[in-house]
Amino acid sequence: MKYIRSGITFGLIGGGLTLLFGGWSVAVIGSLMGVGLGLALGGGFERKDPLKIAVTVLPSALVAAVILVALSFYQNNVVQEAIGKRPFAANLALNANLIGFFGSVLFAAFVAAIHGLPQNQERAIKIALLATLVVLFPFIDKLTALRWTAQIIFALIFVILGLGLNIVVGYAGLLDLGYAAFFAIGAYTTGILSSPQHGVFLNFWLVIWIAAAMAAVWGLMLGAPTLPLRGDYLAIVTLGFGEIVPVLFKNLTDVTIREPLTCWILPGLMNLFGAQTTMSCITLVEHEDLTAGDKGISPIGRPSLPVISPNEAMGLALVVKVIVLVLIVGLIGYYLFRAISNKQYKRVVGLAAGLLAVVAFFIPLPHPEKGFMATLMAVIQPGEFKSNDPTTWYFLIIAIILLSIFVIQRLRDSRLGRAWMAIREDELAAAQMGIDPVRTKLAAFAMGATFSGFAGAFYAAYIAGIFPSVFDFSTSIIILCVVILGGIGNINGVIVGGLAIMTADRLFLPALKDFLSSLLTHTILPSISDPVVQLAVKDNANPILYRFLLFGLTLVIMMAVRPEGLIPNAQVRAEMHGEEVAAEKAKA
Amino acid sequence: METTKKKFNWRGLGVSLLVLYIVFLIGPIASLDVPAIAAAIKANPIQLIQFLIIGISNGAIIAIIALGYTMVYGIIELINFAHGDVYMIGVFTSLTVLSVTGTLDSKDPVRITLGLILALVVAVVVGAVLNASIERLAYRRLRNAPRLAPLISAIGMSFIIENLGLMWAAQAWLVPSFGTTGGASQKVFPDMLSVMFNSLGQDVNLLASSGLPLRFTIKDLLVIILAVSLMIGLYLFVQRTTLGKAMRATAQNRDAAKMLGIDIDRVITATFLIGGGLAGAAGLMAGLYNNTAWWFMGFRAGLQAFTAAVLGGIGNITGAMLGGFLIGLLASFSDGYLSTRWTNAWVFTVLVLILLFRPTGLLGEQTGQKA
Repeated sequence: MKYIRSGITFGLIGGGLTLLFGGWSVAVIGSLMGVGLGLALGGGFERKDPLKIAVTVLPSALVAAVILVALSFYQNNVVQEAIGKRPFAANLALNANLIGFFGSVLFAAFVAAIHGLPQNQERAIKIALLATLVVLFPFIDKLTALRWTAQIIFALIFVILGLGLNIVVGYAGLLDLGYAAFFAIGAYTTGILSSPQHGVFLNFWLVIWIAAAMAAVWGLMLGAPTLPLRGDYLAIVTLGFGEIVPVLFKNLTDVTIREPLTCWILPGLMNLFGAQTTMSCITLVEHEDLTAGDKGISPIGRPSLPVISPNEAMGLALVVKVIVLVLIVGLIGYYLFRAISNKQYKRVVGLAAGLLAVVAFFIPLPHPEKGFMATLMAVIQPGEFKSNDPTTWYFLIIAIILLSIFVIQRLRDSRLGRAWMAIREDELAAAQMGIDPVRTKLAAFAMGATFSGFAGAFYAAYIAGIFPSVFDFSTSIIILCVVILGGIGNINGVIVGGLAIMTADRLFLPALKDFLSSLLTHTILPSISDPVVQLAVKDNANPILYRFLLFGLTLVIMMAVRPEGLIPNAQVRAEMHGEEVAAEKAKA
Repeated sequence: METTKKKFNWRGLGVSLLVLYIVFLIGPIASLDVPAIAAAIKANPIQLIQFLIIGISNGAIIAIIALGYTMVYGIIELINFAHGDVYMIGVFTSLTVLSVTGTLDSKDPVRITLGLILALVVAVVVGAVLNASIERLAYRRLRNAPRLAPLISAIGMSFIIENLGLMWAAQAWLVPSFGTTGGASQKVFPDMLSVMFNSLGQDVNLLASSGLPLRFTIKDLLVIILAVSLMIGLYLFVQRTTLGKAMRATAQNRDAAKMLGIDIDRVITATFLIGGGLAGAAGLMAGLYNNTAWWFMGFRAGLQAFTAAVLGGIGNITGAMLGGFLIGLLASFSDGYLSTRWTNAWVFTVLVLILLFRPTGLLGEQTGQKA
């Protein structure tokens, strides 16, 4: 019966969310809830007989699904009217609820049953399931008209930022409170290099690397002065940099640089001796508006890709094209990587040539011929990413995240990664063992900054406009929240933390706000006679006002209750609970 | 005794000249245009004294906030991030008290004086209780945790209180002068002192009779008197009373103090109470002096005050006062001769430079690698 309790909990959470979102959300939330329930319950079983696990879990899944669907019907028939909206048509609502019901039951049973398989199979199926969900999400989102993808992209931007900060805070143990500065540097580099405002218009695929390199260089420059500092002082100085950089971008609106020797020093000296000066002043830059201050840089160029055809509606064709390209490049890339690590250089040359050929095939010719080639060209002609369709942006950021995860995993297991952790545990001891603290810390700052450079470039291109106020202290703290909520030093944890915090911030709170305000206008507000009180109630029933409160509470509660995060890294956990673990060992 | 001929430090000279060159080259980007500043000073030297006066008055407020940082850091080695926000709550508390008691609309000096005294008392009490409850809720259980944990908790607390300020600033039914523009905008803190001393509501310039183009108003005088008397009081308290002695003992060595029978929790609570009370008082003073109330003012003021505490040598009460005045002067000169929009950047630059070249501050002692 203990499983029933989890079922009730999950059902209530899922049902509560459907109460807010309504419409088709019951189908999506139901499926996700099923996956969550399966994961939560499946882990507790022994590794045998998947079918039996599925049957054991089934009652609990049914309970959850019944609660979900009941709340969903309640939402559609009672709540919609209470908040003054038209209910969903009955046949559509029935379909949505059926999908939600069976989706949750089937997913819960299936995911729980996976846990009965041998470990490698379990892992493979889980990854396949996750990949299917990730790939299908934007299309399901489009079908169900929920419009969540655009907000999920923001969450994914913060996932990348969290992954980058995790290198600095989680691996190297350097508390960086000004991480948004590097995000700003990446975004502004992109803005300056690909906006008509400055007449420079580089291709996004080039700019994103420049932005990352620029962020890395600034990571080195801002990291270098902090090397002798530890703990609180390091935090404060990084916070200082985090404050200075947005001020810099805000105020670089009238840049004039004059060479001082010829402009002031020599003329001044000559004046002192009574000589007349006719020396010309060397002016390097005069009255250059670099960042346009509070107005920000806008518009910013978008990326374009051969797989996105400009004259075709987005849809299944795009998926097919993307999958084909990714499969080919991924396959060749995998063998290339293996060949490099096995030092088979002949094979490297061959594979690299193959890769180039594939890429070259997708680069369009200037004058496509008629006939077969024309059709082909129409398909592979580079189309620009569209601002009104988040699907392509979604796949781009997923690709950046996958690349980041791969690189960060390799980094973590490399010599450098182990050096970071050694520095984190004990800098003195690590230095004694021959680790150079200066180089190791600088590498952490530079690598951490690189990923925020990617995130910044993507953000600038996606929003197509950047403003200095986006990169202030609160952004740094939100990124820190992502890392701490998920689990310091754990990649999976950071991903979960980023998705949880940003979906709460961008999806849950606005939905709650709409829900509350329309509920109040239709129920309580008309009955309040005093206009002052009425206004006060209306103004304060806005959950978005309490954003910072929620972020702050997250930090305080996590530190008090579970400082190692939701999905902890084993080492960090041992560190945070040092005394308790030692006491447990002493008992045993 | 043999006299060693000191070799001239050519390398040092070269480095200094290089630094000077770089300052001349890229300084103008951040408004540090040395020739222009020199010209401005030459054209109007009296202005320098004016900026000095402004700097000292602002520095007095910063110094009082810095005291709270330095006392807490001295005792539990924690940067109390929320301290600046306690100051902000002090501003809002006193404004609300003035509004609720009807002092804001009054022109009667006696009534205003009574209202201000009440506002001071309430702001001090609210600040003290708030600061002590922050310690109780967020820091106490983390006292033996790794160093990052209480710092992150402190940042979280700072966010929570900033949000409380944001909500407070939206309650027009409580303080009508907040208006209907929502909580995010800057609010006016009426200039009560001028109303009190002058029926026209104008500021009284004490230097008007000297004939110089300078302004040293009653507000400046009051702020400085209040700040200095608070500082002297605190200094005497820490030096003379038993509780002050217990505080100093706890700061030196917590375990040893415990062994000698000092109730550590009580001492820490007392420290937070005093720091919070000072922040509340500073809130009223800043509101009266600068005539603004803003939910975000605590963050900026807190960072300036923290810089002041580090500049003076963190943990050192006299140092915090000195640092506060110096940062006030720096900010006022930067406002006057550079540009207001760069002032925060310059304050931070100073902080970074101090931490790099003299991490113990001006009056701090070498305490080993505490930080």
